[in-house]
Amino acid sequence: MLQHPENFDVIVIGGGHAGTEAALAAARTGASTLLLTQSIETIGQMSCNPAIGGIGKSHLVREIDALDGVMGRAADLAGIHFRVLNASKGPAVRATRAQADRALYKQAVRSFIEHQANLKVFQQTVVDLLVERERVRGVVTQMGLRCLAPTVVLTTGTFLGGKIHIGFANQPGGRAGDSPANALAERLRALPFRVGRLKTGTPPRIDGRSVDYTVMTEQPGDEPTPNLSFLPARHPRQVPCHITETNPTTHDIIAAALDRSPLFTGVIEGTGPRYCPSIEDKVVRFADRVRHQIFVEPEGLDTPELYPNGISTSLPFDAQIAFVRSIKGFERAHITRPGYAIEYDYFDPRDLELSMQTKVIGGLFFAGQINGTTGYEEAAAQGLLAGLNAARQVAGLQPWFPRRDEAYLGVMIDDLTNLGTNEPYRMFTSRAEFRLRLRQDNADQRLTPIGRELGLVGDERWRAYADKRTRLLDVKSRLERWRVDPGSDVAAVLQANCGAQINRATTFLECLKRPEVSVDKLPELLTGIDTDIVRQVETEVKYEGYIQRQDDEIAKIRRHERISLPGELDYRVVQGLSNELRQKLSDARPTSLARAARIPGMTPAALSVLLVHAKKLRASA
Amino acid sequence: MTSLDTDTIAAVATPPGQGGIGIVRISGPRALAIGETLTGGGLQPRRASYREFVDSDAVIDRGIVLYFPKPNSFTGEDVVELQGHGGPVVLQMLLGATVGQGARLARPGEFTERAFVNDKLDLVQAEAVADLIASASVAAARGALRSLAGDFSKQVHEVDQAILKLRVYVEAAIDFPDEEVEFLEHGEVHRKLGGLLDGLAKLQRDGRQGVLLSQGITVALVGAPNVGKSSLFNRLTGEDTAIVTDIPGTTRDLLKVDLILDGLPVRLVDTAGLRKTTNPVELEGVRRAAGEASRADLVLEIRDLSVPAADPHDALRLPLATKRILVLNKTDLVSGAGSRSAADEVYISCLTGAGFDELKAAIKQQVGFAGEAATFSARRRHLVALQSTRVALERASAELAAKSPGEIIAEELKLAHLELGSITGEVTPDQLLGEIFSTFCIGK
Ligand SMILES: Nc1nc2c(ncn2[C@@H]2O[C@H](COP(=O)(O)OP(=O)(O)OP(=O)(O)O)[C@@H](O)[C@H]2O)c(=O)[nH]1
Ligand SMILES: [Mg+2]
Repeated sequence: MLQHPENFDVIVIGGGHAGTEAALAAARTGASTLLLTQSIETIGQMSCNPAIGGIGKSHLVREIDALDGVMGRAADLAGIHFRVLNASKGPAVRATRAQADRALYKQAVRSFIEHQANLKVFQQTVVDLLVERERVRGVVTQMGLRCLAPTVVLTTGTFLGGKIHIGFANQPGGRAGDSPANALAERLRALPFRVGRLKTGTPPRIDGRSVDYTVMTEQPGDEPTPNLSFLPARHPRQVPCHITETNPTTHDIIAAALDRSPLFTGVIEGTGPRYCPSIEDKVVRFADRVRHQIFVEPEGLDTPELYPNGISTSLPFDAQIAFVRSIKGFERAHITRPGYAIEYDYFDPRDLELSMQTKVIGGLFFAGQINGTTGYEEAAAQGLLAGLNAARQVAGLQPWFPRRDEAYLGVMIDDLTNLGTNEPYRMFTSRAEFRLRLRQDNADQRLTPIGRELGLVGDERWRAYADKRTRLLDVKSRLERWRVDPGSDVAAVLQANCGAQINRATTFLECLKRPEVSVDKLPELLTGIDTDIVRQVETEVKYEGYIQRQDDEIAKIRRHERISLPGELDYRVVQGLSNELRQKLSDARPTSLARAARIPGMTPAALSVLLVHAKKLRASA
Repeated sequence: MTSLDTDTIAAVATPPGQGGIGIVRISGPRALAIGETLTGGGLQPRRASYREFVDSDAVIDRGIVLYFPKPNSFTGEDVVELQGHGGPVVLQMLLGATVGQGARLARPGEFTERAFVNDKLDLVQAEAVADLIASASVAAARGALRSLAGDFSKQVHEVDQAILKLRVYVEAAIDFPDEEVEFLEHGEVHRKLGGLLDGLAKLQRDGRQGVLLSQGITVALVGAPNVGKSSLFNRLTGEDTAIVTDIPGTTRDLLKVDLILDGLPVRLVDTAGLRKTTNPVELEGVRRAAGEASRADLVLEIRDLSVPAADPHDALRLPLATKRILVLNKTDLVSGAGSRSAADEVYISCLTGAGFDELKAAIKQQVGFAGEAATFSARRRHLVALQSTRVALERASAELAAKSPGEIIAEELKLAHLELGSITGEVTPDQLLGEIFSTFCIGK
């Protein structure tokens, strides 16, 4: 059999968002890495909507960025419309969203890949895994080529057993225009992983030249244009988005076509996301609504194609044309690509360790949609972690993963590996119980020093980080030394702009702790001080109390984390647990008491029972 | 291995309701501080001192205080024991005072659990501990259920739902700002919070007065006429409430009295003797007796030893789950009876009082009352949880008034929900998201 002359440390299969971050992360730590993709042209492709970031997601992007991943920088280079979301709801849930030019984004990611040391790219479809004694040894490609490596990261997205539905017509496919990876899917199905089926959808794409923007609501991007990356960026030209909406006629057309909908006739078995329903779903489930909002997003600067976000559908094409043309501004719309639903295999992420290594095959890592998640950001974050840990394993190092109180990434992998998912998993801030400390403004402080130690963070970012840190400390100490006396000019401004009474001598930093005081209302006092930095200092002092309040809880969780539960524990014989809990624990096999505590339905009494049981097992071992 | 929790726990360590000494035990890092606050300080290791037990300047009780520093204590942690003379009320006040100073009410079996985790018990005892905690948790669950009268539990769940609804709006506004969700106005959140706080305050008042907390388990006395049901009722209550005659069919109405039986709150019900009758008044009495028996937690089925056993077909049909004890009365009339009592069969004499200790023990055993005052502590726990919920909601309200950002309001609401969740069960983030998705049409 043909064999690749080079032996690699890490092989990454798939050039999507998970695969690229995985390959880059492994290579950054010095591992010799091979990225295998079906097509080099589709590296960094955005197969769904052309946007990066958003609530909960931009937090992930910032964390990837803090670990020197490329998603944030690519989005900055490709972003043609940026908005800050939740600006008024607090710094922790504040998020950034970018509409990206698809072509620019792809180009940026490919450029990062092509400039990365230790990383080689090869265009081949993988058809088989080489497994020996429950360890992966490499892969076999479609032309019979063997590539050897002690670790393999699989990031094949929706390509495993992918099936595309448009009306009752369906065909195998990984995304419109690309074939699925069926040989590999079959091979993986033969391994003892739990497999499930999920579904997701896209809307029909529309030619912008056939659309009347004048009747839609224009939504301009934010000024000044925010960044996704911590590193300075030059954005391309910015363009507005538009908003239009469906109407009762649209809904009637959709309702009349439901008998030809694969979703409502049982043809599609996979579970779709609750938060991203198809338009036919919305019309049925919320029948009293007379309108549904549609965000009209440009696909790029150089293409007239646009992405009408909010009308994903798998109705037959004639129905798609009819309902699209019933929408304000779309009366003469030309559909460039039909909407479709795609069903695909995913592997139960409870069969993964927190390092993203599978529990079944040593050296085999899974990342991205294959684990039941949805979204570029979720995929990229997992990819980075999987690539890092594959490289660490080859180097003989312990895996690294953040905890729930350290990063959204930690929340995601803990949720996935502990609880599994039965719908495509998307990040939301409400999933993070410690979200007040997991802000996008402090992702670098949370993760960059760790990333540096892990060998992920390059010199340029490290310098930028160190510089920001110095400025933060500097500003903080200046504000701390800044005395504010009653009756002083500064006190007068505080009173006038914020309504803050200064009754005794204090410092400016102390004043910032008050809820009514905000640096944004005090420009005249803070001239010459970096606004972003002083804002972050303000957040830190204002949130100190809330954060400290969580410390006890976090300390307790860490203690519980150190109490490990043996993998082979037979929950059926543990006295004092309900049968329901026994079943849940047997399915989840939590590795620690802390993880057991997060299983829905767990009670303090049941935890005590587990604790005693664990200790008993250890004592008798 | 470290302990599961490092907070400080407290509980009544003797079965309440018994005369003599009652002990409140405190264990954990803050045990000494709490003990000293309540007794005036200067406690010496292993030295008993006689002190006043004082909470916010009021003397609750007087008694002995003992301090055992770690690791040489029962739990392996710092332990303080307050030994008072208190009946249940005083002991509960004392326990309340420890909670006021930052202790948490211990779960059933938690002292033993800590002892085990801190290696104060050897491996041989491990099995026993696991069993104990398992059964204690069952007893606690039963106790918790029992302490919630229907009304109370309904109202608690209403508050829980109201908090959930508010959170659905607040969290949806945070996680889905782009959606056309009819978000609550600032003023409306304020009004809803106000309503919630009022509801909670009322619940707490009612709870403290015991109006809505159940009075414990219901024990029904049933049997044929003239077997001695009313005599037993009077003896257990210690009063001459029920009319006793040698005429069969004396009792017609249900008689109910609440009492504490060795610390176990019991509602005792005397019923009409069961027999076939044509008298409409007595017939109604029999019907009510049967109804009461089928609703009771425990049925004492009484028989007269001095007469031949009645036709078993007259025996009451009870729900399968109903616990019962066969009580064989009038041992004084039968020679040689009375030494063969078991958990479900007890020999007594209402005339002489023989067998009553066995009867009380059997009652406690049948309802799983291990002397740990599951019901009492469950009630106390509920009241503590209500208070913590309220404190968190008040903070939410204050933050709202101070115009703090939405994420801070959301944080306080989450904490309030978590506190109440200790009674009603926790709501996971995924369940909250599910609530959001079914309330609003979310999704681009
Ligand atoms: N010797 C003796 N007599 C008893 C004992 N217990 C009850 N008696 C007598 O039995 C008779 C019936 O007692 P009650 O307590 O009225 O019986 P009851 O079951 O309530 O009867 P109804 O209300 O008519 O169904 C009375 O004369 C009591 O004094 C006992 O332990 N020993
Ligand atoms: Mg009677």
